[in-house]
Amino acid sequence: MNIVVAMKQIPDLQQIRIRNRKPVFDDVPMTLGAIDKNALEVGVSIKESQGGKVTVLSAGNEDLEDTIKEALAAGADEALLVIDDALAVAGSDVIAMVLAAAVKKMEAAELIIFGEGSGDNYSGQVGSRVAAILDWPQVGYASSLELNGNMLRAARSLEDGEEIVEVTLPAVVTVISGINEPRIPSVTQILKAGKKPKEVLEPEDLGLQIPAEAQVLSLSNLAPESERKQVVLKSVDELVQALKNENVIGR
Amino acid sequence: MEFNLSKEQSLIQQMAREFAEKSIAPVAKQIDEESKIPEEILAGMAELELFGIPFSEEYGGADGGYDGYVLVMEQIAKVSGGIAMTMAAHTLGLGAISAFGTEEQKKKYMVPGCKGKHIVSFAFTEPGTGSDPKQLSSTAKRDGDYYILNGTKRFISNANFPGAMVVFAKETETGEVTAFILDKLSPGYSISEPWEKIGMHGGQLLDVYMKDVKVPVENLLGKIGQGFPVLLLGIALGKIGTSTAALGGTLAAFEEAVKYAREKTHRGQPIAKFQAIQLKIADLAIKYETARWLCYRLGCLANNIKDPAAFAAEAALVKAYCGDNVVDAARIAVDVHGSYGLMRDYTIERVYRDAIIGPEIEGVADMQKMIVAGSILKK
Ligand SMILES: Cc1cc2nc3c(=O)[nH]c(=O)nc-3n(C[C@H](O)[C@H](O)[C@H](O)COP(=O)(O)OP(=O)(O)OC[C@H]3O[C@@H](n4cnc5c(N)ncnc54)[C@H](O)[C@@H]3O)c2cc1C
Repeated sequence: MNIVVAMKQIPDLQQIRIRNRKPVFDDVPMTLGAIDKNALEVGVSIKESQGGKVTVLSAGNEDLEDTIKEALAAGADEALLVIDDALAVAGSDVIAMVLAAAVKKMEAAELIIFGEGSGDNYSGQVGSRVAAILDWPQVGYASSLELNGNMLRAARSLEDGEEIVEVTLPAVVTVISGINEPRIPSVTQILKAGKKPKEVLEPEDLGLQIPAEAQVLSLSNLAPESERKQVVLKSVDELVQALKNENVIGR
Repeated sequence: MEFNLSKEQSLIQQMAREFAEKSIAPVAKQIDEESKIPEEILAGMAELELFGIPFSEEYGGADGGYDGYVLVMEQIAKVSGGIAMTMAAHTLGLGAISAFGTEEQKKKYMVPGCKGKHIVSFAFTEPGTGSDPKQLSSTAKRDGDYYILNGTKRFISNANFPGAMVVFAKETETGEVTAFILDKLSPGYSISEPWEKIGMHGGQLLDVYMKDVKVPVENLLGKIGQGFPVLLLGIALGKIGTSTAALGGTLAAFEEAVKYAREKTHRGQPIAKFQAIQLKIADLAIKYETARWLCYRLGCLANNIKDPAAFAAEAALVKAYCGDNVVDAARIAVDVHGSYGLMRDYTIERVYRDAIIGPEIEGVADMQKMIVAGSILKK
C-alpha cells in the first residue's frame, strides 16, 4: 500500500520571540507541523501492520530539504518535495494544486493523510482541496482509523459527538492531534534520515506556475487583547459562584 | 567558526529533550525517593540507542559521536542526575574498551553494552586511593590461562548490573598497574549494599569485593603495565559524562530559578521584577552558557583525539569548571527560591543535592586543576 503523508514546514513555534506584539522570525529554525507528525505516525503504523511504503510529501522553500529529515527519521521511507521560494508564502489553494499534481505523478497512491490544520496558519483547507482536485472521498477530523483491505473505517471527532464513516480507497484523511502519540526517533534513525531517498521537483516539473506574490496577505494575526477582570474574592464559595456566573463551570 | 547545531544534532537534542520530559520527568521524584530507575526507563533508553551513542555501529553503537552524546546527556541530566550518572559511568567503561580493546573484546562486550542489555562499570577507586594509581592494592596473579583478581574497589557505579567491568589491578609479576575486563557477577565477585549518597539517587554506587575472580588472559585490556594510559584516557573520556551531567544540572537550576521568579509574587508583582533577582538570573544564564559551550566543544574534540594527554588536559579543565559551576548555579537557584528551595516539594532541592556531587567525582576538582597546570607549565 502506498501511503502519502502531507506535511508542512513551519517555524518552530516554541522558539519564536514576541517583540512589540509581533513575532520575530529571525534565526528561528524550521520544523514540521505538530498535527502533521500525528498524520505521519498514522501512516507509519499502518505501514508497519499492513506493509507498504510511506512517502512524505511537502511543498515549500529550499529549507525543506533539511527540515524533511525530521519526517524521514520518524519513519517515512522516502520524500517527495516540491521546492520554490514562492511556495513558502503561497495560499492553501496553490499548495493544494501543487500537492495534488505531485500525487498524480506518483505511482498509485492509495491513501493521503493530512493533519487537520497546519501548525502556523491552521486554515484546515489543504486536505479538502486536494481531495476535491483528485476527486477522491475525504474524511475529516479522524480520531481513529481502521483499514480492512480496500475499506477504511474512521471515527470522526465532531464538536458534540463522534461519527463513524467508511470509505473505499483511494481516499484523503485528515486527522486530529488526539489520534496518537508520535514516536520519538532513535539516534540512528535520525542520523540515517538524510540518506533515505528524496526526490526534489520544481513546480515547472509538474507543469505549474506559482504566482510570486501571495494572493492572501495576513495583515495581523494577534490574539485579541484581554483585560484582566481582577476580581477579589474572599471564599471558595464566592469563587465557585463567580465561575458559575462566567459560565466557566456547571451551568 | 560555526556555533550552530546541524539538523541532525538538533533532532538528537530534541529527541532527548522529549524523552526526558515525557518519560523521565514524571518519575524523577520517584527515582530520587526510591533510588531506583524503573525498568521501562532503561528499556526506553535502550530503544532510543542512548547506551552507545558515540560508538561505532559495528559494535552495536549509534555512531552519533561524542557531540551527540553531550547533547543527550545534557537533557537527561536536566531531569535526573541518577540516570545521568548511570549513563556516564557506562559510557566511560565502553569508551575504554573501544579505545584499547581487541576486536574480540569489542564484539563481546561492547555490543550488549551499546544495546543496553548490559550496563558497564569502570573500577579504579579503592578504599586507599581515589586519585593515585601508584597506591592501588588490588592484585592480578597469572595462573595458566587466567589472571586471578583479588581486592576491594570502592564507589563503583553500576556494579550491581550484569555486564563488563574495566578493572585496574597490579599485575603481581611486574608490579605494574594493568587493566582487565571482568564479567560482573562471575564467581568470586560480590558487592556491598548500595551506598546511600546525598544525591544522584537512582545511580547505583557500590563497593566490589574480588575474591579469586578468574579473568581469562584474553581479557587483558591493553598490555601488562599499560594500566595508566588506559586510566588516563578512560577517565578523560569519562569527564565528558561528568561535565555534561553537571551541565544538565546547571540548566535545571537556571530553568527552575526563572520559573520560580516569574511565579512567586511579592506585593502583587512577580519577584522577577526585583533587580536583585534579575542579577541572579543573569548569573545563571552566564553559568549555563559558559558550561554549555565548553561541553559541546569537548564532545567535538573527543571525536578525534590525536594526543590523549592534550585531550586529558582539556577534559580536566572542562570538568573542573563544570563541576564547581553547577554547585554555584544550584546555590543561586536555591537563593531565588528562599526557604521553599529547601523543601522536597521543589525540584531545586533535588537539583542542589545532585549538583554537590559534581566536583567530587572522576577526580576531585583540585586534581583536575593540577592536570591543567601541569599541561601548561611542563611545556
Ligand atoms: C557518585 C560517584 C560515582 C563514582 N563512580 C566511580 C566509578 O564508577 N569508578 C571509580 O573508580 N570510582 C568512582 N567514584 C569514586 C571517585 O571517582 C573518587 O572518590 C574520586 O576520584 C576522589 O577520590 P577520593 O575520594 O579517594 O579522594 P582523594 O583522591 O583521596 O582526595 C581527597 C582530597 O585530597 C586531595 N588530594 C588527593 N591527592 C592529592 C594530591 N596528589 N595532591 C594534592 N591533593 C590531593 C584532593 O584534592 C581532595 O581534596 C565515584 C564517586 C561518586 C561519589
